[in-house]
Amino acid sequence: MSTVTAPRQLPAQHSFLEYDALARARALLDHGIARVLCGPFDRLESPWLEPQGIVPQSDDGVVIARGTVGGQPAVVASLEQRFLGGAIGEISGAKIAQALRLAAADSRAGTPTAALLLLETGGVRLQEANLGLNGVAEICAAVLELRPLAPVIGVIAGETGCFGGSGIVAGLCTRLIVTPHGRIGLNGPVVIEEEAGRAEFDASDRALIWSTYGGGQRHASGLADEIVPDDAEALREAVQEAVAAGPRPAGTHRSERLDVLFSRLASLDPASPPPPRPAAGSAVDSRGRSWLTALGGKPSEVIPSVLRADTSDAVYLAVVPDPGSPFHRARAGEVGLNESLALAQAIRRTIDEDAHARQRRAIIAVVDLPSQAYGLTEEKVGLHQTIAAAVDAYAAARAAGHPVVALVVGTALSGGFLAHGLQADKIFALDDPGVTVHAMHKAAAARVTMRTPAQLDSLARTVMPLSYGIHDWAQLGFCDGLLHVHDADQPTAPDIANVQAALAAAIEESRGGPRDLSARLDSAAAVRTRAASREVRDKMAEQW
Amino acid sequence: MHTLNYEFPADRLPARGSHAGVVASGDLEVLLSPPDTGPATAHVRVRTSIDGFDTVWQAVLSRFFTRTPLAGRWELNDSGATPGVVALRLRQVAELALGTGEQQ
Repeated sequence: MSTVTAPRQLPAQHSFLEYDALARARALLDHGIARVLCGPFDRLESPWLEPQGIVPQSDDGVVIARGTVGGQPAVVASLEQRFLGGAIGEISGAKIAQALRLAAADSRAGTPTAALLLLETGGVRLQEANLGLNGVAEICAAVLELRPLAPVIGVIAGETGCFGGSGIVAGLCTRLIVTPHGRIGLNGPVVIEEEAGRAEFDASDRALIWSTYGGGQRHASGLADEIVPDDAEALREAVQEAVAAGPRPAGTHRSERLDVLFSRLASLDPASPPPPRPAAGSAVDSRGRSWLTALGGKPSEVIPSVLRADTSDAVYLAVVPDPGSPFHRARAGEVGLNESLALAQAIRRTIDEDAHARQRRAIIAVVDLPSQAYGLTEEKVGLHQTIAAAVDAYAAARAAGHPVVALVVGTALSGGFLAHGLQADKIFALDDPGVTVHAMHKAAAARVTMRTPAQLDSLARTVMPLSYGIHDWAQLGFCDGLLHVHDADQPTAPDIANVQAALAAAIEESRGGPRDLSARLDSAAAVRTRAASREVRDKMAEQW
Repeated sequence: MHTLNYEFPADRLPARGSHAGVVASGDLEVLLSPPDTGPATAHVRVRTSIDGFDTVWQAVLSRFFTRTPLAGRWELNDSGATPGVVALRLRQVAELALGTGEQQ
């Protein structure tokens, strides 16, 4: 850029960097905030922080406000980036999801109600790990429920940026508005350095950070729709235009444009990737492959790292290791760029093929994945966006009437599980010590939350969503069953029969059940463990 | 985390509940709810991430309530705010509650 001809921008008078969550919400609505829902005096604070010695905030760090934008009814969800980095926990997640769902209900009833998501957020709150992860999945589902009816506008204008699961939410929005100070990605610089080392990403390299995640870069490469200066008036105008433009036609959202995403990927040369790791023993064996084969028969490759198996009434999908992948951060079964797009494409094709079928096939996500891919190339291309495409496809299949069932046979971690599993309407896991669901690897989660792994384990005994144990996870309200097996690595005939019976029953039940994720709050376990989320759901409906 | 409870004599009534601040490093959130019955006491609960400053809290709060004897239920959620920031947030909430302050 030429420094001589570039116009000088006057210092912004009302910087969003300086505003708190409430002031941001107020700035974007026509006449300020009509009312705040589930506000500080409702005291819907997180029940999980105090037992960990963390001071909670009375609104759990998210402001939900009603008002109008350009005269149209709207609801704003504004995350407070200064409270625990704007990260999404049980309550803040439930608040955002419920606000979106109530807006969808109003829209269906004849009052189109737009949503503004002010996404200043690091993603899943690690102090509430599994409940935060599920919260993000429910927000994604709710965005996709509202998006055909009224616009969902994402705004990223804060210091924190929009990372982790929240990056996926951004990738689902009708339109995305950024300032040059906003950043979007899946894995932030520190997380990549933590997981993959400094050679992969030097988190102290500011130029690298901004040229990877920065609002300017994201806009230039088509991953954001508008870039505006960091000024309240400019943002308000952009938001008004975006709301006035209304919903996009089906098939034209960024997370639905697989053609565009594939061509982005094709234009990329993962320049001289490190040579494939020699397959140590049978490195490509995985539980995902074993169970996919056991349940669905001989697999075929969507791509080498995404397998499918077809039966007359179901499509099984699994992400498996591919030591020869040119994307060296996605060789161990992680969900990377290729994997998320391959999943999205396989699911979209299934939806199309069954469009006129008497009965739509079930889609079974066989889940055994170490995580999403932590890499620089992944962030440059926009892994948050390709994962959003997979999330969108799974949710579309569910909404179209395909029973979508997730079967966790190994590790189901973080963004990988958001991409492949958490949009299912039924979730099962094997009752086996090798089965784990979590938001981050234990060592990294301990470092990020400034604890030792031993402290984390001891806290997890009282704070259930922190636990890495599958029995604790099953108590959180969204597990439809832990399935007993004798050998989780090489399933025996009775193991297979047992799992098949559970899947068949789930598919049957799913055909008559709700097409959204509302059952996750109505299960017996949710009544016990997610009482706070249920209170949010009821109170916000009352105040709406 | 540490929870502290204080009571101070208070003879003024807030016109409304009020709230200010964020639980963020060096800052705190203050909520004031009007008392259920008539004015008599300010009930203060402090939850703070920093242990060992009980006497400082006592001093900051008693100075504030001597000047501003505003009754009701006060809740302070603190993330290591300095006494100056605490005094500022208390004043801000009092002004909002009495209708003398502007919305931030």
